[in-house]
Amino acid sequence: MICSDAFKATADAMADVQGAPGYVYVTTPHPVAGLTPEQVRERAEAVAGEVAALLGAGEQGRAVR
Amino acid sequence: MAGEPRQPDPDVAREPDPDVAREPDPDVAREAIEYCYEQGWSDGLPVVPASQALLDQFLAQTSRSPDEVLWRMDHLGRECTVHTAAINAAMAGCLPEYFPVVLAAWDAVMRDRAAKGGGWQSTSGPAPLIVINGPIRGELGINCTGGIFAGGFRPNATIPRALGLMLRNAFGVVPHVFDQTTQGIPGRWAICFGENEEESPWEPLATEMGLDANANAVSCTLTRTYEFVDNRHTQDPEQLLNDFADTISRTGVMIFRAQSAGIVFCPEHAQMLAGAGYSKVDVKDWLIERCGRVEADLRAAGKDGVSEGGLGARSASEDERVPGEVFTPFLPGRASVPIIVAGARNAAISMVFRVFGEWSNSSVEIESARSPVAATKGG
Repeated sequence: MICSDAFKATADAMADVQGAPGYVYVTTPHPVAGLTPEQVRERAEAVAGEVAALLGAGEQGRAVR
Repeated sequence: MAGEPRQPDPDVAREPDPDVAREPDPDVAREAIEYCYEQGWSDGLPVVPASQALLDQFLAQTSRSPDEVLWRMDHLGRECTVHTAAINAAMAGCLPEYFPVVLAAWDAVMRDRAAKGGGWQSTSGPAPLIVINGPIRGELGINCTGGIFAGGFRPNATIPRALGLMLRNAFGVVPHVFDQTTQGIPGRWAICFGENEEESPWEPLATEMGLDANANAVSCTLTRTYEFVDNRHTQDPEQLLNDFADTISRTGVMIFRAQSAGIVFCPEHAQMLAGAGYSKVDVKDWLIERCGRVEADLRAAGKDGVSEGGLGARSASEDERVPGEVFTPFLPGRASVPIIVAGARNAAISMVFRVFGEWSNSSVEIESARSPVAATKGG
């Protein structure tokens, strides 16, 4: 999951109510809504490494936070 | 107990006063109120501590089972039952006889597509607009005339507050966590009034929505922004409607291809329009035809692009999509222009409001109270 950093508190609370406290996700700086397609691509490139690491980490990743 | 708190007078002999002895102990009351704050049950203002006896009085007002689930938010794993609603209505300061109105208001707002679709957690922090029709307005002392948005009346203040407390305490939608409101709407939990049926030239809102003419009913939708139209300047209905059209046609509210805007007409404006032969439908059609902007205005605001499908989200397009002089209407149809009449005849001042998503265009009948209405009235 990728979340803009303004919604971190909400994302953490959602993880709690869904029974996954400490769920690991990637954040990108807020705001996102007004970005151009090119700026979105830059954002994607910026977090690609973190996303790959998270996917590769699997269950281990969920435990590390 | 009414008026100013009794102050001790040192010159008065210290004899027991039977009236004082019967007054509630304010320190005990405050202790209970502070306890409620500590539990996180308050919206910031003091709540009424709810005893089991008080809760029973609320539940006695409805035939609905205390265990009935009014709504469930699956993504949060939480629900609100009639029982929980009663506790929160009591804490909000409602009288027990308001409870059927609270239940109907909740049912009415949850017919709103946006309320069902996560609107309660929206970054815009929309406010429920609660409109009440029928004889119950007089029976409960619901304000329909002067100061409908200005407070001062117990049912008008506590019924919408009950919805806010239900959201907070039953669903856990609290600010900064599941409530993601950026700024919100002034008076978010205080917008509730009766339609001024007695001075309206048109049929009541609930009748327009298909209920019996004398039905007790609630209509409710989520709203954003309220802006007045003060026009005591003309007797020409088209000039008056142009003033409303100008206010409705702002670019700031345009997020999607179209928008929904309603009007709470003061009696004077409504009577003037009706006197000139305008029905509610005529007013809606007039506004639908004229509310909007030329594309150049939308381009100047960075909102000339419209995505395909869905609601048609607006964005700044790189190239001129449509010639600048082309007029784009904003209101998609009559269902997007709710019209209500309320307020006093004191001046020709009405209110434009923005529907957050899509009003259900329906009204919910209020269940008749099962217990005799108490002598105490709000206000």
